[in-house]
Amino acid sequence: MQSTSFGKLGSCVPRVFVVWLLLAGAPSLMAQMPGTGVLTGRVTDASGAVVANATVTAKSLDNGEMRSVTTGTDGSYKVEGLTPGNYRLKFEAAGFKTMEVASATVNGTEASVLDEKLEAGEQISGKPSAAAQENLPNAPSATTTAPSLADLGLSPEQTQGNAREQALLDKRTRMLKIHQRMGLITTIPLVATVILGPGAGGKSEGTAARDLHVALGGLTGDLYGITAYYAIRAPRVPGTKKRGPIKFHEAMAWIHGPGMILTPILGIMAFDQKNKGEKVHGIASAHGPVAIVTAGAFGAALLSVSVKF
Amino acid sequence: MTSLLSIKTVAGCCLLLALPSLVRAADSQWILQKSTLTYHVSHPLHQSEGVSHTARGKGVCHAGQCDFLIAVPVKSFDSGDSNRDLHMIQVTRGAEFPIVTVRTRLPESGAASTTINADLEIQFAGQTAQYKQVAFKLETQGGETHITGTIPATLSDFKIEPPSLLTMPVKNEVPIRVDMTWRPQ
Repeated sequence: MQSTSFGKLGSCVPRVFVVWLLLAGAPSLMAQMPGTGVLTGRVTDASGAVVANATVTAKSLDNGEMRSVTTGTDGSYKVEGLTPGNYRLKFEAAGFKTMEVASATVNGTEASVLDEKLEAGEQISGKPSAAAQENLPNAPSATTTAPSLADLGLSPEQTQGNAREQALLDKRTRMLKIHQRMGLITTIPLVATVILGPGAGGKSEGTAARDLHVALGGLTGDLYGITAYYAIRAPRVPGTKKRGPIKFHEAMAWIHGPGMILTPILGIMAFDQKNKGEKVHGIASAHGPVAIVTAGAFGAALLSVSVKF
Repeated sequence: MTSLLSIKTVAGCCLLLALPSLVRAADSQWILQKSTLTYHVSHPLHQSEGVSHTARGKGVCHAGQCDFLIAVPVKSFDSGDSNRDLHMIQVTRGAEFPIVTVRTRLPESGAASTTINADLEIQFAGQTAQYKQVAFKLETQGGETHITGTIPATLSDFKIEPPSLLTMPVKNEVPIRVDMTWRPQ
């Protein structure tokens, strides 16, 4: 009777096993989304032993998008959700030389398989080898139970890098660094010009102080122009809402910007009047006050992004 | 007798079918309910902090050990100054590596303690850094576990060049305060 029972149980096992396999395998079968490709493979060392925790980075040669995964304990990796095209692959693991595959093609119909063999070499990153990691008392491990980014509900769009946006940010920072330095340099002749202003336009009849004032004013204007250029031409980052001191910094620019144009115009008028032996009069007499307001706004703009009030 | 046999057969099949789910049922999981992560930057002229509340996290426990993963978008840190935040994203290569991940493995029994020391593996700015035995305080209340602590991160750990303001660079130390509430699932 028992043998009959086991016989029946045995007959159901293959079917159950098939059903179980189908259920267990269903997610991986569904993993390749329509229109996207999968890159899979295994990373081993020179002896053929698997390399766990190796970082595999696929970078699109078409649009620069990047995706990184790490190999599991069996050395296998799987990069999913790739836009069909050509990818540069980088394999990195502690204790091994970084290997690069110049181009691998990913299509949207079937998984592309690429196995890689790593050569022993210098450790190039702070990531420990699998052996070293095991020695840590409670270090993370690439077990099958460890949650992944997908388990956290993060979509590939949220996790993939954007090389173009990074390049935009790099350019913006480079330009704003020059803007910042030029702004500091501009402060020196600006302050000197303001200090020399009363001597140049007051009761003094001499021309030396006036000429120096004009020369420093001209230098200030040139340096200010360069400073402003790097701020205006620095790329804007789409979707960024301005908050904090930068709003005040930019508001001040609406004062010192026109002021830096108006001040020399009024200065030229005042200069002409003084050269004719006249007392500075009319609109030209606003040269001094406009210059002081301009310099004040410039200083406030500089301080607003430098010191926390 | 025949019906008894068929019952045993069906029961056997059901047992086999249920096996994977039974194995899975032995595991427990933790979900990050809410979090506040704060980085602190020191500059000779001023101090600043960036805060993120958008971290996601999950812990999967198996055989007495729990593997935790916490992920937070670099862009989610808000210092109250959009210009500074953009510089932070640039200098940390946040567009290229948009997610900071923290992985750790802790004993399941650790949830009953009031303090726990964790070995953290942090991936940030395209680099991976290990922090050993980082102390966290635990407080369990109403089924939720509240964890607080500070990760002693530095810019050089992630090969980040210290940004400068008025030609003065910020300090290398950027401690990250962690305040998280986890709930078992």
